[in-house]
Amino acid sequence: MLRIERLSAGYSAKPVLNDVSICVGAGQFVAIVGPNGAGKTTLFKTISGIVKPSGGAITFDGFDLLAVPPPQRAHLGIAHVPEGRQVFPSLTVMENLEMGAMTESGRRDWQANIERIFEWLPVLKERRNQFAGTMSGGQQQMLAIGRGLASSPKLLMLDEPSMGLAPSTADFIFERLIEIRRQSGLTMLLVEQRVAEALESADRGYVLEAGHVVLEGNNATLRADDRVRKAYLGM
Amino acid sequence: MEGFLQALAAGLLIGAVYGLMCVGLGLIFGVMRVINFAHGDFMMLGMYTAFYLFTAAGVQALFGNAVGPFVAILLAGPVLAVFGYFVHRTLISHVSGTRTASLEGEGHYAQLILTLGIALILQNGGLIVFGSVLASIRTPLSSSAWEIGPLFDMSIFLNKARSIDAIVSLAIMVLLSLLITRTRIGKSLRAAADNPTAATYMGIDVDRAHRTAFALGCGITAIAGGLLATNYPFHPFVGLEYVIVMYAGVVLGGMGSIIGAFWGGMTIGLVQQMSTLILPTQLQNAAIFAVFLLIIFFRPQGFFGRMVERT
Repeated sequence: MLRIERLSAGYSAKPVLNDVSICVGAGQFVAIVGPNGAGKTTLFKTISGIVKPSGGAITFDGFDLLAVPPPQRAHLGIAHVPEGRQVFPSLTVMENLEMGAMTESGRRDWQANIERIFEWLPVLKERRNQFAGTMSGGQQQMLAIGRGLASSPKLLMLDEPSMGLAPSTADFIFERLIEIRRQSGLTMLLVEQRVAEALESADRGYVLEAGHVVLEGNNATLRADDRVRKAYLGM
Repeated sequence: MEGFLQALAAGLLIGAVYGLMCVGLGLIFGVMRVINFAHGDFMMLGMYTAFYLFTAAGVQALFGNAVGPFVAILLAGPVLAVFGYFVHRTLISHVSGTRTASLEGEGHYAQLILTLGIALILQNGGLIVFGSVLASIRTPLSSSAWEIGPLFDMSIFLNKARSIDAIVSLAIMVLLSLLITRTRIGKSLRAAADNPTAATYMGIDVDRAHRTAFALGCGITAIAGGLLATNYPFHPFVGLEYVIVMYAGVVLGGMGSIIGAFWGGMTIGLVQQMSTLILPTQLQNAAIFAVFLLIIFFRPQGFFGRMVERT
């Protein structure tokens, strides 16, 4: 569904991604793990078009993604749940969800989507008329996820949904994501620093270090790999 | 007491028009974060557009002297909105929005120079095209009044033209707030203002949202300018006199708050008219800024401003 080939990108003179190739098949749950500054967020921003690549190709659902203007990419079915949540603070929870549903598919399925989102993340229903900026970090993260789901995406990209959250809240959000995936079969691409949890629930994984893919494989291979066990799983 | 009520009424009437004028600028600043120094000159163009629509384009012949001016003024709004749309497309968009999002200072320096340049061109271009003679949109309503009362032996006189100006301003303000709060376009404008990057992730074309805000802001201020022109004569440099008031209103209301800008403008209108009770008329503007400084001293974020920075 998403195929990234030999992608290089960066900010002005500073290259961040180097020859990165990643493949996400339809229905798969793929995790990208790696330390701070490895280029995980830049990779997502390049997929969404906020960062311009210096080389390589991205195809999504048969489209040459790099030829599609950034705001149009959401309409193709890519939902980006950004790092640091980035909800619209002066809009209510409901209005934030409506912004998620700006795409054609999101508008079409609005009623069904909103019911499912409220079922998965009931706190959003309770607080639907509250301004997003006044909510806690965990609630904002759930709103960011709900906002992504509201577009009826083909691919949900999650950039560190656990960032800045209390461990118990992060656990809860992880558990919700797995439940959402179990029920919807949605294709997901996850970037995480909580490597153990990410690898445990994903089908496939990539380890990104200093802008390079240093390791890739399915769930079992990665978790059995010595380097991963030493560097990330603390074993 | 009678004088006080009379000044209060006059302040409310002029305040509504000032409010509308400030909202035009507040919308542009709130959504785009662009400081538009040329906004007073867009208003000047709105005044002349209304003037020529009324006198030369047949509106006067069609609608007469009483209704005609207001028809011309309302038509000037869309004309200036289209003008603003193209100014944004050809000039402003090069130094704002997604093109400059990653630059240091987000292109603010270039924006200052560019809008200042546009202001100079409009002012001096206006001088060439319209001449330096004072113009005004005359209506017989400007020199007649409705009498309210007598109540408790007091009568208040409301200038007819100013009263209609205020009603038109309030009506447009209500329409605009409905647009901003209820419609899809309005919500996407607010989302683009809150967080342009996240708005792009949602599939909102931020540059197009900016263009919409700029066009709307120009149209709204043009209408406010036309309304002012029924009572105040104008000339090609009139924008300079108003742009400071506009900024004071936007800052008072709270930078970035669109509805706040209306109340900021309203406050300025009230202060200006009430100050005539105790100060000579020449000091009207001094009074505005004395009150402005006082309010900013006690409430630096303005009436509706948020202290939290946008993420």
